[in-house]
Amino acid sequence: MLKNTLRRWWDLRLPIALLGLAVTAAWGVRETQGAPLFEVYNWVTRPFQTNGSGQEQLISARTQELQAQLLESETQNQKLKELLGYVSAKKPKGIVAPIIGRSADHWWQQVTLGRGSNDGIKADFTVMGPGGLVGRVISVTPNTSLVLLASDPTSQLGVGITRSRNMGFMRGKGGNQAVMEFFDNVPNVKPGDVVSTSTFSQLFPAGLPVGKVISVDMNKTPAPEALIEFSAPMSSLEWAVVYPHSKEAEQKASQGQSSAPEGEAK
Amino acid sequence: MKSLPRMSSRSRQFLNFAVTFVSVLLCVLILPTRMPGMELLGISPNWLLIWVVAWSIKRKRTVWGAASMGVVLGFLQDAMTAPHPTHAVSLVIVGVLTVVLLKSWSIPADIVERDPIPIALIVFGMAVVAETVMGLQFLAMGDRALLEIWSDHQRVALCSAILSSLWAPVIYFPLNRLWEMTRKLEKS
Repeated sequence: MLKNTLRRWWDLRLPIALLGLAVTAAWGVRETQGAPLFEVYNWVTRPFQTNGSGQEQLISARTQELQAQLLESETQNQKLKELLGYVSAKKPKGIVAPIIGRSADHWWQQVTLGRGSNDGIKADFTVMGPGGLVGRVISVTPNTSLVLLASDPTSQLGVGITRSRNMGFMRGKGGNQAVMEFFDNVPNVKPGDVVSTSTFSQLFPAGLPVGKVISVDMNKTPAPEALIEFSAPMSSLEWAVVYPHSKEAEQKASQGQSSAPEGEAK
Repeated sequence: MKSLPRMSSRSRQFLNFAVTFVSVLLCVLILPTRMPGMELLGISPNWLLIWVVAWSIKRKRTVWGAASMGVVLGFLQDAMTAPHPTHAVSLVIVGVLTVVLLKSWSIPADIVERDPIPIALIVFGMAVVAETVMGLQFLAMGDRALLEIWSDHQRVALCSAILSSLWAPVIYFPLNRLWEMTRKLEKS
């Protein structure tokens, strides 16, 4: 009996060893966040990567981005005149990267960029598209980087209405939309208002254009909500620009700012 | 190139292994692409699920074989997206369920082999099961609201099921043909 069982197992030694090997290898790939897979993917799809078509859509989205940025800087300028002694940091140079892939399953809103740590991209860098904020780099390989889009339900960020400075936080809703929850009970907001990242967000620098308010629900409990449409075309992105950003620097900056006169949040 | 029957048993085994490996690699590499005709509301077929079903349908497949391949492909998909919650659970359930289903209903294997309809139906059902398991895992993790998961689930499960079942024969028939040929040659 025992001998028979043993013999059966001995006959199966090759399949068992192979399956064990496969499970171990897959575990290894998972632990390295699929770095070899993404490198191979980048190499295979290189001939098919786009070269900046859909120019018109990009240009009109770019105009929208500039308008939003202008409005943002005007309001910020107004504020700065009130808070004397504020010195703004120099805007860093971005890394332009093609988008070579989308999310590998249906529950996450991610894209893969065709540039990686060889070009100086690191995790937590901010990704902008034509039109505004796109997302945040969550992992990098030498030639690719994985971006969690702002439209993913797990990505939350502090945002504010540019016109009235009402603050809140935003949660992705999939597709091209997000839900913004206000901190105030009666925020001054109407459809068409431009939304940008606020000084509360630690994962993103403040003042980046995000999108436009398309509807407001004032009766929502516990806080009023607004539906936001991203100004960057999330579903048809072909290029993105990556800007350096790190959590530690942001925390230091916000600690430094907290000693400055309060009044931003009101 | 020599034809399959004239190869030695060892090189045939190697070829079998190589084709299996390459097909998994292809399925993994095609996941992030959105080709025209393979996309519905931004959702593409679940290629790994099709592969696991094709692997589990093979004659004389044991529950353990199906489950371990589910773990392997689940880990690979984790690597491509995010490790929490793991995709391995849904693919293991799909593999085991397919084996159990075929055994308990004793569906004759040659019907499944000749006709694309049963395989499409099985993949359709399994895609719904897999996305439901993923939805439950997100619910258990608790960082998404139930309402969001529910509306996501309807969209994801339906699109993924339709597309996966339509594209299933593309993966299933070539792989199955190879596995069947080598199995017959091993026997004789």
